Amino acid sequence: MKNNDVKFTLPVLEEPRPLRIRFRKTGNLQYISHLDLQRTFARVLVRAGLPLWYTKGFNPHIKMVFGLPLSVGAESECEFLDIRIERDMSEDEIKTRLNGEVTDEMAVTAVYRPTRKFTDIAFAEYVYTVKAPGLGGARDKVNALFSGGPLVVLKKSKSGEKETDIKPLIRRVSVEPTEGGLTMTAVLAAGESGYLNPELLITLLHKAGLLTGDPMTERYRILRRRVLLADGETEFE
Amino acid sequence: MNETLGPILRSVEKPGRYAGGEYGAVIKDKKAVKARFAFCFPDTYEIGMSNLGMRILYGSLNREEDIWCERVFAPWVDMQEKMRTYDIPLYAHESGDPLSAFDIIGITLQYEMCYTTALQMIRMAHLPLLSCDRGEGDPIIVAGGPCSYNPEPMADFIDCFSIGEGEENLVEVTRLYIKMKEEGRYTRAAFLHELAATVRGVYVPSLYDVSYNEDGTIAAVEPKYPDVPRRVLKCVMPDMDKAYFPEKVVMPYIEAIHDRIMLEVYRGCIRGCRFCQAGMVCRPVREKTPEVLDRQAKCLYEATGYEEISLTSLSISDYTRLEELTGRLLDWTDKNMVSLSLPSLRADSFSKELMDRIATVRTSSLTFAPEAGTQRLRDVINKNVTEEDLMHAVGVAFDAGKTTVKLYFMSGLPTETAEDLAGIASLAQRVVHAFYTNPNRPKGKSPLVTISVSCFVPKPFTPFQWEAQDTMELQAEKQAYLGEQITDRKVRYTHHDARVSRIEAVLARGNRRLGASLELAVEEGFCFDAWDEFFDYDKWLSVFARTGVDPAFFANRQMGLDEILPWDVIDCGVTKEFFKRERARAYAGVTTPNCREQCSGCGANRLGGERTPCPGCGVKT
Repeated sequence: MKNNDVKFTLPVLEEPRPLRIRFRKTGNLQYISHLDLQRTFARVLVRAGLPLWYTKGFNPHIKMVFGLPLSVGAESECEFLDIRIERDMSEDEIKTRLNGEVTDEMAVTAVYRPTRKFTDIAFAEYVYTVKAPGLGGARDKVNALFSGGPLVVLKKSKSGEKETDIKPLIRRVSVEPTEGGLTMTAVLAAGESGYLNPELLITLLHKAGLLTGDPMTERYRILRRRVLLADGETEFE
Repeated sequence: MNETLGPILRSVEKPGRYAGGEYGAVIKDKKAVKARFAFCFPDTYEIGMSNLGMRILYGSLNREEDIWCERVFAPWVDMQEKMRTYDIPLYAHESGDPLSAFDIIGITLQYEMCYTTALQMIRMAHLPLLSCDRGEGDPIIVAGGPCSYNPEPMADFIDCFSIGEGEENLVEVTRLYIKMKEEGRYTRAAFLHELAATVRGVYVPSLYDVSYNEDGTIAAVEPKYPDVPRRVLKCVMPDMDKAYFPEKVVMPYIEAIHDRIMLEVYRGCIRGCRFCQAGMVCRPVREKTPEVLDRQAKCLYEATGYEEISLTSLSISDYTRLEELTGRLLDWTDKNMVSLSLPSLRADSFSKELMDRIATVRTSSLTFAPEAGTQRLRDVINKNVTEEDLMHAVGVAFDAGKTTVKLYFMSGLPTETAEDLAGIASLAQRVVHAFYTNPNRPKGKSPLVTISVSCFVPKPFTPFQWEAQDTMELQAEKQAYLGEQITDRKVRYTHHDARVSRIEAVLARGNRRLGASLELAVEEGFCFDAWDEFFDYDKWLSVFARTGVDPAFFANRQMGLDEILPWDVIDCGVTKEFFKRERARAYAGVTTPNCREQCSGCGANRLGGERTPCPGCGVKT
């Protein structure tokens, strides 16, 4: 049996140490909401036996701050979570311990002391893999769709449905045909000043008549590959 | 996860219910195992994943290297519709394979109102509903759980029932299946026959002929072969310290109803409340030791990361070494920020010391179950809780700053009078009064006493198994009468839907003739009857009428003490003579001491058991 009591024997830090965890949210995890992910991760942190810092209050709890929420139905290679520890445990050991408590679909890819703030995030880069016969030949049409504008979609919000032009939230889109479909790379707004649900690009393909089948039988995958700063180029860490 | 499901999962509510891939889920090579077992829970994922029994059985089957047990839950209606439209058969969570690819399908029957959902799952698996229509290539369907103590209403659909505690029994069933397959002598008929003849706790309904009298009661139940037992004795784990315990747990990504560690402290109950089926069929009482429980709790904590441990049992304060157990647990739970909670409290053993140790301190509400409004009726049902006990308990709660108390009652209990109903209201009123006369009460706050009244449902294997349920008219009258007795706004009154309780009574005490009704119900799309939004009383009445079933025959009839009851084919350990004695004492208003005070000769101790209050007692009949 693993020994999680080790955490009580480590030297206490003078100040709680902030740590950033970068992890995946792929495969089955794409159907898990942000709230459920938070609950899941709290348990992973406990299982891993980390010397966690708890808030000092009437109801002490683990301090967790997540980077950028991910829409349900999209996968990601670059999710971020900030925690604090109160005793000295190496980043390598924390990473190893965390990976013992998650499936591959939620693997932890890095643990480090953060330098940037989550508010520095402005864009995210998504890779779309769409399998739909005939779509590969439509590359130019797809390119034309996203270089033109405006791009109006029906957006659902608390106050009802509203037609919105999402063109300003699309930084750039590039398209490559593949066998049986196409690959599309898109940089979309993802920060305090705006956030675009990546699924809406699929909706646009439908609306433009480029995807014609029953949406329920289509196969596509949306993967958030990188998170970017305000210049739309530099990768957030 | 099947890739083609992607867009469908994006379109349904709570797709996490269907995704799978949880940490702790068991994945095996399907080509390398000898038997594949699909464990079905006939309700939603969130409810099924909260079920301790499912966790135990999943673990005990998967401990066997050559058996792979997977989980299956009932898809919610939006998903069901999508699965119908796109012709997707019900699939198992781990592999995504359709149920027809499995060797054995296990269905747990936790409450009567899940029967229709269970049967819909068989349909969603594209398998014939009736046992007799399934062929050699189809999986064997085995059912278990509390409701299988009266298997008869489901007898037409289920190939065999596993009666009692299943952690070893289901492995035995699967082992025999593997053995007969390997020896090349497997046929459905041969397997089921050998199962019934050689494995304890297995009831194969197709091996019994049931004949009826003209009045609809049962004339005789005859096994078709001499080696098939006349009565099927339930399985028990004699030593709970040694019973299989799941050290690894599947961790749901989405929130389960009970999202915490459930630590089963002991099985059975010493109390003997005369309406309670669980208290009877789980006998004898068998405790685990604090050493073992502490080790298991620590292990579960490290395997789950849950921040709450719930001590689970029928009546936790009856555990003989509760103080020692909580002491051991608090040694490490406190510093790990883990809290303890207790789901069930008896008013007569609720103390400040106990409350100080448990997490309910955080919540502002406490719940007790006096069950009846007067001492007379509490004696009839053998609840053995006095008003003094209750007042003491709420006093402790108010001292500690609580303002909300919830009280559970039952209406329609045998011998109930208007006075007993009025007693519920006046008892609640005296709890309100106790708040205001308590010098330590939280100042400036007013109390809220919620009384929740359910309808008595006579259950098999209880001293009240023969009793008639009140008619709908009488139940409505009683509910209204009680409502009129409550005048204080600090008392809130809620009652269960009598219509649901009536159908529950029909299914609980039904016989094989209900098979036709259930078959029609499933054809008409009944599902999730345990959910208010889907339960339709009039449709149930219509189904009964069209299949020639009079619901009053099962729910509202006083059954004869010498009548052959549908569930007589099952032996739950407790004798019918004991139930008759207890019934007579109920009508005489005489209580029965609990098992620790004195053995009442119920018969269950012949099943053995370690750390039980009744070892070696003779069976008094």
